[in-house]
Amino acid sequence: MFENVKMPEGMSPEILEHLMNPKNYGKLDEPSCIGVAIDEKTGEYVIFYTLLNDDMIEDVKYATNGCQDTVVIGSMFTDMIIGNNLEYANTAIQKMLEKLGGLTPQQQICADIVFTAFIASMRNFENLKNGEKEEMHVLKMKDSCEATGMQEETDKENKNG
Amino acid sequence: MDKLFRKKHDLWLSITFASFAIDDEEIKSRLYDFALIAFRHMKWIAGNVLERGENYNYDRDIMLYKRESVFDILEALESEIKEIQNFYPDDELGFRMKNDDNYLLEYISQVINNDKNNKKITAFNMQRKWLDKNLPQDQIDALTLFLFDESYKEYELILIYAYMQARTTNIKQYNIYQDLIDESQFHLKSFANMMAKLGILALPRELHEMTYIVKDLDKFIKDSIDEEIAAKEMCKELSEAIKDEELSRFFDFINFQENYHIELMRKLL
Repeated sequence: MFENVKMPEGMSPEILEHLMNPKNYGKLDEPSCIGVAIDEKTGEYVIFYTLLNDDMIEDVKYATNGCQDTVVIGSMFTDMIIGNNLEYANTAIQKMLEKLGGLTPQQQICADIVFTAFIASMRNFENLKNGEKEEMHVLKMKDSCEATGMQEETDKENKNG
Repeated sequence: MDKLFRKKHDLWLSITFASFAIDDEEIKSRLYDFALIAFRHMKWIAGNVLERGENYNYDRDIMLYKRESVFDILEALESEIKEIQNFYPDDELGFRMKNDDNYLLEYISQVINNDKNNKKITAFNMQRKWLDKNLPQDQIDALTLFLFDESYKEYELILIYAYMQARTTNIKQYNIYQDLIDESQFHLKSFANMMAKLGILALPRELHEMTYIVKDLDKFIKDSIDEEIAAKEMCKELSEAIKDEELSRFFDFINFQENYHIELMRKLL
């Protein structure tokens, strides 16, 4: 009946709580790095602010103009990685997907855009460490939105500073 | 960034969502009228900020009043209205806003003076039950997702159109933005009142500047038209799937409204 209506598995109270009060939503005033993943076809984006202390993730925030699946996944992912190290963060998305169970292809795209934004923030961190002046690092999503299909671009236009 | 604009944005949302949270039709309706007045205040403050050559943004500090009774909500609202008075300028707009707020405070005090008005708030209980309807769980789930997605989208559109309206000098565009804002205000009200009935009323999330600072108007309008078409499809699916005549008719009605909404957007191209 609802083949085309997106729905989180079972709509648990936990999912509902993330929907009503997304965790870590917004901006960080003084992040170590900023990453953006954008789907240019739809204009949907996720921006990810990360505050690092060596390889520990002290704080993160994210914002998006995307759908509620993106919001829920962003809320869960950021909640998982705060207070953990980068090695853990790189495996967190997989752990989260296992926890959520089978995702629809559309929900998989939402998970990809969140994780890609995090990767973009890490690229920004590396670039800043190497002395580049880059306000944020932008990764463009392809239709498939799979990590292997990412098209990297250091978006000069977004260097507002 | 302008502190008064930020405070007024918060207050507009507080009045609006107090109206959505309260069940009593008369209080709901009166508060909603005041919310629309607060939105006009916001628009006028924005105009003054831009005239001074300064800028404002849509960052906010608001926490939704998730209270258990009508009086708890109204008392919190009363405090917020009193607090903003210190930020009003000593000019015609400042006097106007103070006067409007005083009238709202008077209304709130009238409501609070009658104990019969102090009903329980169910808008945040997360029960997801529509008391006078018997919707199966899969329909409730689909409706929940739809309402979260669309209430955010309507809030987003209201603010984006207001941002662009404040910056256009073209009268035709200005009027189209106003129509689009009015349409989205109505849709936000409709969807948020449904969320309150289901016990899942929530504040739409904050807008990041990447969302409302539009660099390419044509692309933005084309993307928005695509989004409207997708929203129409969602409405159609919900209307077909929900086996409740009243709700089904409502989604057909919204779906039909989107046609002209899209037409208005095309006029901006």
